[in-house]
Amino acid sequence: MDYDKLLNISVELGCRLMSSGAEIYRVEESVRRLLQAYGLESPEVFAIPNCVIVSITTPEGHPITRMRRIGAHGTDIELLERCNDLCRRLCVLRPPLEEAQSGLSALTEHTPQYTPWNILLGYGIAPAFFSPLFGGGIADSVCALIGGLAVGFCLLYGSRLMGSNGFFRTAICSAVASLVSLLLVHIGLGHNLDTVTISVLMVLVPGVALTNAMREIMAGDIISGLSRAADSILTAAAIAIGSAVGLAISQIF
Amino acid sequence: MDTIWLNYALPCLCAFLACAGFTLVFNIHGGGMLICSLGGAMCWLIYLLAGSTIFAAFLSAAAIGVFSEVMARLRRCPVTGYLLVALLPLVPGGGIYYAMSYCVAGDIQRFLDTLLHTFGMAAALAVGAMMTASLFRAVYMHLYHPKGRK
Repeated sequence: MDYDKLLNISVELGCRLMSSGAEIYRVEESVRRLLQAYGLESPEVFAIPNCVIVSITTPEGHPITRMRRIGAHGTDIELLERCNDLCRRLCVLRPPLEEAQSGLSALTEHTPQYTPWNILLGYGIAPAFFSPLFGGGIADSVCALIGGLAVGFCLLYGSRLMGSNGFFRTAICSAVASLVSLLLVHIGLGHNLDTVTISVLMVLVPGVALTNAMREIMAGDIISGLSRAADSILTAAAIAIGSAVGLAISQIF
Repeated sequence: MDTIWLNYALPCLCAFLACAGFTLVFNIHGGGMLICSLGGAMCWLIYLLAGSTIFAAFLSAAAIGVFSEVMARLRRCPVTGYLLVALLPLVPGGGIYYAMSYCVAGDIQRFLDTLLHTFGMAAALAVGAMMTASLFRAVYMHLYHPKGRK
């Protein structure tokens, strides 16, 4: 068997899983099971949120290691489910490596993605319906919808302007959120500035990072858990700093 | 009847639709979309019924932990998606904002007060959801795999 190829496939699978937002234990467990299904005795897998290292020893006693770095990534549940399915299937069926490779390559292309317009719509309707939960009326919902669309637009199309720094990006988006809400309330469309701003900020809050951090810690991956927890605290700080811009301006006028 | 509609049904409907918006952002399709949104509505309903305190958030997060584990088992999918979206209505976005607004206004006492409340909320969410999820997993393993193998 071509162990180099097997290693490449398993690292690739780990990378796909990680970049779709899987927990560390799922990545490690999936890659380990895949390698064991192909007959390796004790594969070693180590993963942290932006790196996967897989090391195997061939039956002849020759060790091979591969490391793969993973850049910044979002959450893609559909891809995660498909990766999980593929891994389960590979472990049970154990197809030839070429077939496994082509199945893995087909994964990204065949996973359905929402169009940018649909995602933008999602960014719009989430704040619009959060606003009644915080005590807003219909006018506030409309304001939140507009604010959410503005933030979604910044997140989707502004990455070239804002760079890839997550902290900075969140701060800018949060400033946009508070400024748009301030403007809309100022021209008389919205009634309650706080409600509108909070609803719009809900699309930025680090709920995902917080939940993931706790899941990692509960699963025993302390390093990854702490790094994700730090991520969520930094994101919250960025939101606070960004919204301070709007608040400070509203105090001046 | 009117109060039930206004105080409970309408907010839950809003939570449902807001979570449906987030499923678009996280690329969740088909049946998963409905389950996540239902989870969000359930989360908000329990939070309201239990009195909108930190403890209510804990209870609600605990319920969501079990709900998402069950749904993940039924659909044979990773649990992450359901948990992420269903917990979103409880994430203390308001706390962050109010804390900052007191900070900008120079009201240190209320700033610290709100900040601690926000942290409490976040901790309640995390601990509630994770504890029941771990508990559920332990019981499930015990019931279906009594020999301790996975």
